[in-house]
Amino acid sequence: MIKQRPFLVETLTAVGLILAPFILPHLGFAPNTVNRILVWGLFGIGFDILFGFTGLLSFGQSALYGTGGFVAAYLLTRAGFPHVITSLFIGMIAAAAVGYLVGLIALRRTGIYFAMITVAIAEVFFFVEFNPLAEWTGGENGLPGVPSPSFDLGFTHITFSSGWSLYGFLAFWYFIGIVVGLRIVRSPVGAVFRAIRDNPLRAAAVGHNIHSYKLTAFVIAAAYAGFAGGLLGVMQAFMPPDAFMFHTSAELIMMTAIGGTGTLFGPLVGASIWLFLQDFLQAALGLGAAWKLVLGVIFVLLVCFLRRGIVGGIHDLYLWLTRRGESEPDAPEGVPLPLGADVTASDTPAMPVQPRATNGYDGPILQAVGLTKRYGGLVANSDIDFTVNHGEVRGIIGPNGAGKSTFFKMLTCEVPPTSGRIVFEGNDITGRNVTDVCQLGLTKSYQVNQLFSRLTVRENLIIAVLGELRGKFRLDIFRKMDNVPGLTEQVERTLAMVNLSARADTPVTALAYGEKRRLEIGLALASSPSLLLLDEPLAGMSPQERVETVKLLKSISRGRTMIVIDHDMDSLFELVERVTVLQEGRVLVEGTPEEIKGNPAVQEAYLGGVLE
Amino acid sequence: MINWANLVSQMFNGLVLGALLALISSGLTIIYGTLGVLNLAHGAMFMLGGYAGYVAFTYTDSFIVAVIAGSLFVMVAGVVMERVIIRHFYGRPDEDQLLVTFGIGIVMVELVRFFFGSLSLTVPPPKILSGITSLGFMFYPTYRLALVGIIAVALLALFLVLYRTRIGMIVRAGIEDSVMVDSLGINVYRVFMVVFGIGAMAAGFAGIVNAPVVSLTPDMGEAILVQTFVVVVIGGVGSFPGAILGGLIAGEIISITSMINPGYAYVMLFAAMTLVLVLRPHGLLGTQGRA
Amino acid sequence: MSLLEVHGLNSYYADSHILFDVGLHVERNEVVALIGRNGAGKSTTLKSLMGVVRPRSGQIVLDGVNVAGKASHAVAHAGMQLVHEDRRIFGSLNVEENLILAGLTADNKWPLDRIYEMFPRLRERKGSRGTDLSGGEQQMLAIARALIRDPKIVLLDEPFEGLAPVIVRDLMKACRDLAAEGQTIVLVEQNLAATLALAQRVYIINNGHIVHEGRAADIKAQPDVLHRYLGV
Repeated sequence: MIKQRPFLVETLTAVGLILAPFILPHLGFAPNTVNRILVWGLFGIGFDILFGFTGLLSFGQSALYGTGGFVAAYLLTRAGFPHVITSLFIGMIAAAAVGYLVGLIALRRTGIYFAMITVAIAEVFFFVEFNPLAEWTGGENGLPGVPSPSFDLGFTHITFSSGWSLYGFLAFWYFIGIVVGLRIVRSPVGAVFRAIRDNPLRAAAVGHNIHSYKLTAFVIAAAYAGFAGGLLGVMQAFMPPDAFMFHTSAELIMMTAIGGTGTLFGPLVGASIWLFLQDFLQAALGLGAAWKLVLGVIFVLLVCFLRRGIVGGIHDLYLWLTRRGESEPDAPEGVPLPLGADVTASDTPAMPVQPRATNGYDGPILQAVGLTKRYGGLVANSDIDFTVNHGEVRGIIGPNGAGKSTFFKMLTCEVPPTSGRIVFEGNDITGRNVTDVCQLGLTKSYQVNQLFSRLTVRENLIIAVLGELRGKFRLDIFRKMDNVPGLTEQVERTLAMVNLSARADTPVTALAYGEKRRLEIGLALASSPSLLLLDEPLAGMSPQERVETVKLLKSISRGRTMIVIDHDMDSLFELVERVTVLQEGRVLVEGTPEEIKGNPAVQEAYLGGVLE
Repeated sequence: MINWANLVSQMFNGLVLGALLALISSGLTIIYGTLGVLNLAHGAMFMLGGYAGYVAFTYTDSFIVAVIAGSLFVMVAGVVMERVIIRHFYGRPDEDQLLVTFGIGIVMVELVRFFFGSLSLTVPPPKILSGITSLGFMFYPTYRLALVGIIAVALLALFLVLYRTRIGMIVRAGIEDSVMVDSLGINVYRVFMVVFGIGAMAAGFAGIVNAPVVSLTPDMGEAILVQTFVVVVIGGVGSFPGAILGGLIAGEIISITSMINPGYAYVMLFAAMTLVLVLRPHGLLGTQGRA
Repeated sequence: MSLLEVHGLNSYYADSHILFDVGLHVERNEVVALIGRNGAGKSTTLKSLMGVVRPRSGQIVLDGVNVAGKASHAVAHAGMQLVHEDRRIFGSLNVEENLILAGLTADNKWPLDRIYEMFPRLRERKGSRGTDLSGGEQQMLAIARALIRDPKIVLLDEPFEGLAPVIVRDLMKACRDLAAEGQTIVLVEQNLAATLALAQRVYIINNGHIVHEGRAADIKAQPDVLHRYLGV
C-alpha cells in the first residue's frame, strides 16, 4: 500500500512542503488557506489512523480538537503561560487523556452504536464548553489573544506571525505529524489496526487484545486532534468555540472521505479540495453559501462510487495499470491446484512447535471433564469427557444434532461451558477467551474463511505471527516491522508449510478458493500452536481439492496435535488416528477409524435403525 | 427554594419534548430495526418537514394543510432516498451506510439553506390554539398543551398502523426476519421502502407540528438527531415501545436539568446514556439481535 | 413434464462451492426425499430452489417456469414454499397472525378452517405469541404457513429435528395425509426411518454431488449404498 522504499514518502512530503509556498500561490491558494489546510491535514492524520486504518468511524473528534485547543489557548491567554510549543504539547496530552476516558465509554460498543455514541460525545462537549465551563473557555466568544509562537535565540528573536511566516511553523509540525504517523502505521501496532478493520473476530483469535488496540488508536487520534486544535488557536490568534461544534467533526469526516481514507494524506488532499472549492465556488462562481451544498453532493457521489476517495482512486488506477501484465489468479474450480514440485509429506519443512511454558507437564495435551452446554431448555452437550494426547490426530464425528460444533466452540473458548472443565497443557482454560487461549498455544481454522480481506497473503500471516511474538498487547508504535525478531522467518516457514510462498504478495481478493482455504489454515498455524483445531477444513471443496488438502494436513500434523471435524468420512478417516463419535450431545464411542467403521452402534446412530 | 410553578412548567415542557423525541425516534428505530440502516439524515428530515410545512402555509394560510404537506413531502423524500441511493448500500459495510446517510443529510440541510437562507422563519400556531391557557396555578402556552395531544395522537396512529394493520404486521415481521417475509411471497424490498417512508414521515410530521414552538433554521435538525440517538440507545434499537419510553425519559432529563443549568442538560443526558450502556447494553426495552 | 426439473445447479456459500451440478426431478403428487450426511448440501439445495441462496448457475424449472436466480418472493409466487430448518416463525406475532401474513399475497389461499382441521393444536393456540409455542407447535405452524399458500410443491427442511417421538408421529401423520391429498413434497430429513416411510423416491447427495437415485423401497435393500453415503 505505502511503498516500502525507505523514507521516500517522508522525503517527498518534505520537498512538497518546502516547494508549496512557491507553487501554490500561482494555483490560487492564499497563504491563510494553505495554513488552514495544514491544520486540517494534521487533524486528519489521527482521524485517518482511527477510521481509515482501524475502521472506527467516530463523529466525535471535534471534542478532542476543542479540548486540546482550549487547554493550550487557556494556558497562553488567561494563565499567561509564555511558551507556545509547550502549551501545544500540554493541550495534546490533555486531549489524549480525555480521549482515553471517552474511548473507555464509546468502545464498549461497535459499528453503529459506536458512531451514535461519538455523535453524542461531540454534542455534549460543545454544550459543556459553551455553558458550564464558559469561564475557562470564553463561552460563545472563545479565547482571543492567542500569541504567535516565537523563539528567543539570544541574538535574535524569531516570530511566526501569520501568512507565509506562520506557514513554516505549521508545515514543520505537519511534517513531524506525518513522520510519526507513517511510523505508527508501519509498526506492528499499525498492522494490528488494519487487522481489526478487516476482521476483528480473527484479529482476536490470533492472539491480539483488540480492545486495547482500539483504545490506542482512539488516543492517538485524540492526540493529533488536540495538537491540531492548539495550532488552530495559534493560527487564528484566537481559539474559536466552533472548534467544538459538531460540524467540525462532520467536515473532517467529509474531507477525509473525499481525499481518501487509509492513506494518511487523504485529509490533506481532501482539505485542499474542500477549501479550494470553498473559495473558488464562493468567489469565482459567486455561489455564496451554496459551496457547501456542492461539496456535500460531491461527498455523497464519492461515497457511492469512489470508495477510497481521490488518493485511493489514484492508487487503484496505478495498481490496475501496473498489474495488467501480472499472472491471473490460480486455476478455476475443478482444475488441480499445483501444490508445488512433487510435494510429499517428507518434503515440507517441519515447523518446530515452539516450546511453551509447560512446567514439566507430561499429561495429555487437552482434557475436558464433564463438559456440558445448555441453551435454555436445550442441552447441546452433556457431560462430555474428552482427552487428547500430544501428537495425536483426532477426528470428531457424529450425526446431525450430535452437538459437534457446540463442543468445538467450547474447546476454543468461543463459548463458555455451562459446567465442566477444560485443561490445556495443565492450564485450566475454562471460561477464558479466544485471545488468551491462542496465546497459550491453541488455535482454530474456521469452516468459513476468516481472512483479512484487504491485505496480502504475507500481511495476513504477519498479523498472526505478531500475535505470538508480541503477546496480547504491546505498545510498540514506533518499532519498525523489520525489527521484530523472528518475524520474517516464521512467516516464510508458514508460507512454505501451506504452499503459498509463490503467492505471498497477492491480495486475498485475488486468490482462488483453495488458496484461501490454505491461507485460512496458515493463519491458525502461523503462531506455531501446539494444538490445532480444524473446523470442516474440506468444506466446499471439489474431489481433487480434498485429496490435496488431506495431503497438506498430513504434512502439517507432524510434531503437532490436531483435532478435526468434518463430514467427509472418507477423507477424514484417511487423515486421523483416532475418532471420537458424538451422538445427541454425548460421547458414544472412541476408537481407531477401523474400529469405528465396524461398530454397529455407530452405524445405528447414523442410519437410525433403518436396516433392521 | 423550589419554584413549584416553574417545576411543573418545566415538567410539561419535558413532556412535550419527550413526546416529540418519542415520535422522531420511533421513526428512526423502525428504519433501523427493519433495514439495518442508521439514518443519519433523520434530523434533516425533521427540519425538512418544518420548511415544507412553512411553504405550504405561506401559500394556503392553513395550518392543517401545512402539516399534511410537511409530512407528505418528507415521506416522498424518504422514499426517493431509499429507492435511489440507500438500496444499493444494503450489502455494504455499516460505515458506508453511515457515511451516505450522513452525506444526504448534509445535502438536505444545504439545499434548504440555499433556498431559504440561514435566518430563522416562523410558522404561527393555528388561531384557536394560540395564546395562553390558565391552569389555575400557572399559565402555559396553549399550543404547547395542544402539541402533547397532537403528538400523542400521532403516536397512537403509528401504534395502530404497526399493531392493527396488515402493513404493520408485515413491518413487525420484517424487523424480526426479513428473509422469511420474502419467502412468504412479500416483496421485502417494497417493505423496506414503505418503512423508510413511514419513518421519514414521522420525522417530517414532528418537524412541522413543532414549528410554532421554535423558529425554523436549517441547522435545527442537528440537535434533534443527537437527542434521537440517545433516546434510541436508552430505549433499545428497533423497539417502538423503547423509543417512547426513552423519549419521555430524555425529555424530562433535558427539561428538568435545564431549569437548574442549561449546559448540564446534555451532560445529564449523556450520563444517562452511558449508564444504560454499562448496565443494559441493549437498551431498556431492546432485544438481542441487531448491533 | 415434471412438476420440478433441476439441472446443473451450482451453489456457493461466499466462494465455498457447496453444490456441484446438482440435478433432480419431482413429479406431481410425489414425495421425493433428499438424504445424505450433515454438510452434504441437502439444506443448501432446498434453499437454492427457494431462492434464499442464489445459485450461480443452473436451471430450476417449476411447472414450466425457470425460477433459478429469482428472489424468494417471486419463487413463492411461482408456487414453491420452503419450511426452513429453524422454522423461523415470527415470535412477536401470534399464531393466527403468522398464518394471515403467510396468506396475504397468495392467489388461492386455504381458508383458516382448513388449516385448523389439519392442525387442531394450532386452533387451540391461535392467540398465543410465536415465542410461547413449543417446538412441535412451532413446527406445525411453520408447515401450516407454507400450506396456506396452496403451493404446488412444498420443501420440508428437517421437519422432525429436535422433536419428541410423539410429536414426530403426529407430524408424520399430517405429512402422510398431505401426500394422500396429492401434495407434492420434497423432504430433507436425517431421520431415515421416517423419510423412507414417507417418500416414494430418494436422492442421495454426498459432498455436494448427487450420487444415487432410486425408489425408497429399493434403497432399504441396499445397505452398502446407505453405509457408503450415510453411514461411516
